[in-house]
Amino acid sequence: MSDRDDREAAQGAQGDVRDLLPGYALHALDDLERRSVERLLESDADARRALDEYREVVAAFAVDTEPPAELRASVLDRVRNTPQLSATSAPSASSGTTASSGMTAPSSSAVAAPPAGGPTTGVGGDVVDLTARRRTRRWGVALTAVAAAAAIAVPTTIAVQVTAERDRLQEQSEIVSEMLVDPDASILRGAVAGGGQASVLVADDDMFFRADDLPEPAPGRAYQLWVVAEDGSVSSAGVLSVRDGETASLVQGVEGIGMAVTVEPEAGSEQPTTDPVVVLGA
Amino acid sequence: MASPPARTSSRDSVDALLTACAGGDPASFTPVYDALAPVAYGASIGVLRDPDHAAEVTQEVMVEVWQTAARFDAARGSARTWVATLARRRAVDRVRSEQARRDRDQRDTDLRNGESARDVVVEDVERSLDGSAVRRCIEGLTPTQREAVVVAYYGGLTYREVAEQLGAALPTVKSRIRDGLIRLRDCLGVARNV
Repeated sequence: MSDRDDREAAQGAQGDVRDLLPGYALHALDDLERRSVERLLESDADARRALDEYREVVAAFAVDTEPPAELRASVLDRVRNTPQLSATSAPSASSGTTASSGMTAPSSSAVAAPPAGGPTTGVGGDVVDLTARRRTRRWGVALTAVAAAAAIAVPTTIAVQVTAERDRLQEQSEIVSEMLVDPDASILRGAVAGGGQASVLVADDDMFFRADDLPEPAPGRAYQLWVVAEDGSVSSAGVLSVRDGETASLVQGVEGIGMAVTVEPEAGSEQPTTDPVVVLGA
Repeated sequence: MASPPARTSSRDSVDALLTACAGGDPASFTPVYDALAPVAYGASIGVLRDPDHAAEVTQEVMVEVWQTAARFDAARGSARTWVATLARRRAVDRVRSEQARRDRDQRDTDLRNGESARDVVVEDVERSLDGSAVRRCIEGLTPTQREAVVVAYYGGLTYREVAEQLGAALPTVKSRIRDGLIRLRDCLGVARNV
């Protein structure tokens, strides 16, 4: 294997070496690969800039954690007795990039929200009587598809996570099954402004929201789900995690008469800051 | 705004502290230690998962930060990123040398260590991610990208080892990690527009 990489590197396909930059930032390369990246970095400012970005991504994994208190005196003591080195021979030194743009928050005003359909879009979606078996089946199929997507076989310990996820989905699916047989349950449906369809199954204090064919939100933005109360107030039900345009969320123990979705900064907002792309209300 | 760590607001001042301690009095390093030791320790323990090892690596890294402060270039990234990079590199090197030692010893010992100590313990990973700036963004990766990135990051593995652990082809793993980091980059908003 290393022979083949050796040859690849030797052939000097720069694109290939460039593809190793994420691995370089992750410290995930073998010596040979690392050397070929370092050669690229010496001559290529774009590669250095890309590396700086990847390093910032990798650094974002680290969670600041207070080290043991006794470490402080020990390090400061060593520092007093350790001479500093000069700036020279820094590996892949200065590049002309400016760091200031690195941490700039995405400017929300510049991000295109889905076409505004007006606040009334989707209000009063169809109310479907659950005695219609067709609907019941559709929900069942949707849940099975979600469970199947989570159950893709993954080797090693990642499987633990998948199992946990599957258990969670199974539990969720049991709750939704119970909701489905509740004679008072109803399903509200509506189109999403900007594309896609949404529906919510309401039974007692539980709501199961589903949507599909959703367009990818603009970078730095996310769909956020809201529970609408009888007096018109809304409370957050979290940012929706969308995969292949599909999303589902079970919200339990809420007294709401409907749900709404807005496009918000990806970390979510405390209150909606944009007009809803869909409102599903009784 | 929300995605970079809360520390971001003080980024410039931390960068300035680090820059100032280059060629300075050792006393000028004290505020640098206080500002940056937590990221060194956090990055170390993410990979090592052992507080004693992480403390040792943090000590080495913070002394290195002092020694090489003149090489810090704020134009290429924040002090936090620089220290996180140094810490993770040392932590991964330690994981690898520990693993090499264990592999040597293994022949003489029982099979208790049969499961690789470098297998990523997912519960730990999930816990480790809480509070990190990537927590939200990692959801935006495909399952295969996420798995490859997480295994590479927390396992301290090389591409080749990631490929072995996941039973995937090496080029596949390379592109998954690349695409995964690109998505994270875009989500975190770290792309530098030139």
